Amino acid sequence: MPLSEEQVKHVARLARIRLDPEDAAQMTVHLDAVLEYMTQLNELNTDNVQPTMHVIGLNMPLRDDEVRPSLSVKEALKNAPDPRDNMFGVPRIMDGGDH
Amino acid sequence: MAIHELGVKDLAERVRARELSASETVSAVFTRIKNVESTIQAFLHLDPDYARMRAQVIDQLPADELKNLPLAGVPIAVKDNMTTVSMPTTAGSKILSGFMSPYNATVVNRLEAAGAIIVGKTNLDEFAMGSSTEHSAYHTTCNPWDIRRVPGGSSGGSAAAVAAQMVPAALGSDTGGSIRQPASYCGVTGFKPTFGRISRYGLIAFASSLDQIGPLTRSVEDARLLYEVIAGHDPLDATSLPGELDVSRGPLPHWRDIRIGVPKEYDGEGIDPRVQERYHEVLAFLRDQGAQLVDLSLPHTRYAISAYYIIAPAEASSNLARFDGVRYGFRHPAADLLSMYETTRTEGFGSEVTRRILLGTHALSSGYYDAYYLKAQKVRTLIRQDFERAFDQVDVILTPTTPEVAFKFGEKSQDPLQMYLSDVFTVTANLAGIPGISTPAGLISDVPVGVQWLGPVLQEGRLLQIAQAFEQLWPSVPWPSVGGDL
Repeated sequence: MPLSEEQVKHVARLARIRLDPEDAAQMTVHLDAVLEYMTQLNELNTDNVQPTMHVIGLNMPLRDDEVRPSLSVKEALKNAPDPRDNMFGVPRIMDGGDH
Repeated sequence: MAIHELGVKDLAERVRARELSASETVSAVFTRIKNVESTIQAFLHLDPDYARMRAQVIDQLPADELKNLPLAGVPIAVKDNMTTVSMPTTAGSKILSGFMSPYNATVVNRLEAAGAIIVGKTNLDEFAMGSSTEHSAYHTTCNPWDIRRVPGGSSGGSAAAVAAQMVPAALGSDTGGSIRQPASYCGVTGFKPTFGRISRYGLIAFASSLDQIGPLTRSVEDARLLYEVIAGHDPLDATSLPGELDVSRGPLPHWRDIRIGVPKEYDGEGIDPRVQERYHEVLAFLRDQGAQLVDLSLPHTRYAISAYYIIAPAEASSNLARFDGVRYGFRHPAADLLSMYETTRTEGFGSEVTRRILLGTHALSSGYYDAYYLKAQKVRTLIRQDFERAFDQVDVILTPTTPEVAFKFGEKSQDPLQMYLSDVFTVTANLAGIPGISTPAGLISDVPVGVQWLGPVLQEGRLLQIAQAFEQLWPSVPWPSVGGDL
């Protein structure tokens, strides 16, 4: 089933990316070609195959629950576009936006 | 030999013996960079002041400390998707323009602790997504053998910097071939170890189950020297493997003791006939040396590109969700939070990254997870099992690294599927987690071609010995004369 432009726009919304109409059309062509190629995987019966989640089996390593030094607030904020009062500033979420 | 022509081993030996100072080395390297970088454009950031300062530190060390540094005074370039406190880290993306990491990647700390000097950060396809370095948000990089051609990617800046003799070694990262393919295109050695062998802490994540850091150098021995410094367990990376490294050295193996697997799926349709011919010449040569060639089949190879281009974008779409304009990097101002996310990400990501985020988001989205991601992870098991069976019969598998030699700018960037298909011989090692190394196999029409050696998991030492034995026998060619040498 070919990928529709509506599906691409839906996925873009999920990924928080805006597509203008021209980009949406081109992305649909490209992604449809790639997904069409990938239908070859359906040739393989994988009913009894375990998925590979990790190529080399490892137990989840745990460390002791000890307090250790970490990044200072200053360091953590040094790349922030809008640092405010030791926090990351963002536009207002409620009441229609702005600060 | 001019200082900039020396490899890692020679430089470190001379600096340790105080025949050459680290400061002289750095000065020679920056003279070379000054002469050729304007043509090649391998770097996104160069820091001569930092390098000189580090060189002075090395030069002032007492002799007993200096003699223990495996990479004493060796200038090294680092792909710009590994974090450095002293220099910006952009991953080739506008969304990280000007980003200054508050911590070093583990590999950077290990290089510096071994006496290496980081001279700069190399260009790459944005977030390491690409096979030509044309997808860098900043500029393209030229292949030093023919500046009309791409250096490969995504570690194209690292491969070009080493081939143009601006540095003796560079670090790259390899998610689907991003070390081995540019190594092949630029005529250098590129080594991807077993997944988990080298810490990914500080490597900006693309696909967390596939990403692996490794060296690009002008010899196998030099690749080994870097590998032994940067590999090993790191508690800061939860997928880092415990256990000792395989550092088997000793005399190089005799070819009569080596069984070389020749997989039929890597030798046929879609290969440039000249690449195929060279591959066959290498095989015949090794048979004449006494190696046993074993024809074998890795039957699921033809499904590898599909599995890879589901798994890698799926993991990327999740990893790249962190770039939202809140904590670091570029932010596009907007009136409300949702618009800020959307405009920041739309402005900040280039078209190939956007394409892969959308592909990955689709593959993980409700109703499609089983059909794509889970299916691909099952096919990955079949590909892994192909290799496990093969390594019951052979010591090493030999393939062409890429189906073609370096292509010209713009030749593939308009057709994503064609670009993806050119990764056909390299993605399998990432899916299976096994180590692979590309070594030069001469020139075709004046541009390099490589062959790829694949080994069983965690047997890096043996793999490097076999690759080195080949390197010693196969005739090498002079390095390209970029911008007029000497």
